[in-house]
Amino acid sequence: MKARIQIVDNATGQAVEAEIFDEVTVEHFIETQQEWRPIVLKAARQLAARGSHQLIPQHFHWDWTTKAPELKVLANAFYGIRCNNQLQGLMKVETVGPFCTCRLPEQAGKSLVYVDYVEVAPWNLKVLAAALGEKPRYNIIGTRLIEAAVLKSKEEECKGRIGLHSLPMTDSFYINACRMTPVGRDPAKQNLLWLEYTPEQAENFLTGAK
Amino acid sequence: MKFNSDPNWLKKQAALEDNCFVSVGGLVSSVEELEQRTQQATASRTAFVNLLDLTRRKHKLTWEQLSQKLDVDLAELIEIGNDETYKPTPRTVTQIAHFLNVPAEKLFILSGLVRVHDRYFQEAALRFAARSQPVRELSSEEQEALKEYVKFLCER
Repeated sequence: MKARIQIVDNATGQAVEAEIFDEVTVEHFIETQQEWRPIVLKAARQLAARGSHQLIPQHFHWDWTTKAPELKVLANAFYGIRCNNQLQGLMKVETVGPFCTCRLPEQAGKSLVYVDYVEVAPWNLKVLAAALGEKPRYNIIGTRLIEAAVLKSKEEECKGRIGLHSLPMTDSFYINACRMTPVGRDPAKQNLLWLEYTPEQAENFLTGAK
Repeated sequence: MKFNSDPNWLKKQAALEDNCFVSVGGLVSSVEELEQRTQQATASRTAFVNLLDLTRRKHKLTWEQLSQKLDVDLAELIEIGNDETYKPTPRTVTQIAHFLNVPAEKLFILSGLVRVHDRYFQEAALRFAARSQPVRELSSEEQEALKEYVKFLCER
């Protein structure tokens, strides 16, 4: 799958063309290690030096290359967004697995698509760009990836139901920007917040309806 | 998959995402932990360099000839051989894999581009790294080259 989408260029505030694709390869993982990780680490060091420990990204240690064996697993799907010849975001979802079951009482036990990993390129994150004295480049990458997860859920006949564990500093994105329902802390996953979409919420997110 | 192309939706979602941090995944305790982890690939890297060097010698190729055969920049081969922290490009590793006739994905791991948790793979790399630097006498050409270079250094 390859699709043309629009994202927002922060410099102009205008929409620009990008491509979302699911044919993610190990080369994309290597690209994140070579292009993203040094910037994330540099920004983390800057923030630590300033004493802004609460702003250090909680995902700074990720290494997508460790996910290389998972590319062959049929129950997984990976999505990337490319713009200006650079990878702008990456996501892994699971369609089968221990977290692919709804927990919200009204849909408990039903299948969902689990969003296992999402990362946006560091130059698109305001806090990290600011730590390095720059402005974030592109906006709406996270939203587009979550949109892909919801569309995948529909393809898998889960009707848009998705679930994920949010890192503490990202709770506000999933609650306020995506309007997912926070269900509760999960002791099985580092006590991270578990969030879910019902089919109605997913549809509202996709269409922009309230 | 049909993605939303409504400019109003785009504008609204951009405003909502603007100040947010976006990520999903596990947690880690400190920057130091990450920096320690990045130093664990030395054995694999030595095995990668030795594998390349032994194969080069087996085919009786100079580094220049090897770079031409692989269609990669000579400077990059030199970096690979001499700088343990240097990360080769995926293309170069793929070219080397074709030359060595081994799966590219294995060489991605050995070269340090891809990190996997495979104890047997790491142990095999360590054993090869240790065994692939045998003690052997210098050939007459090597002795001559060494002598000339030491002399040059002493004269400068």
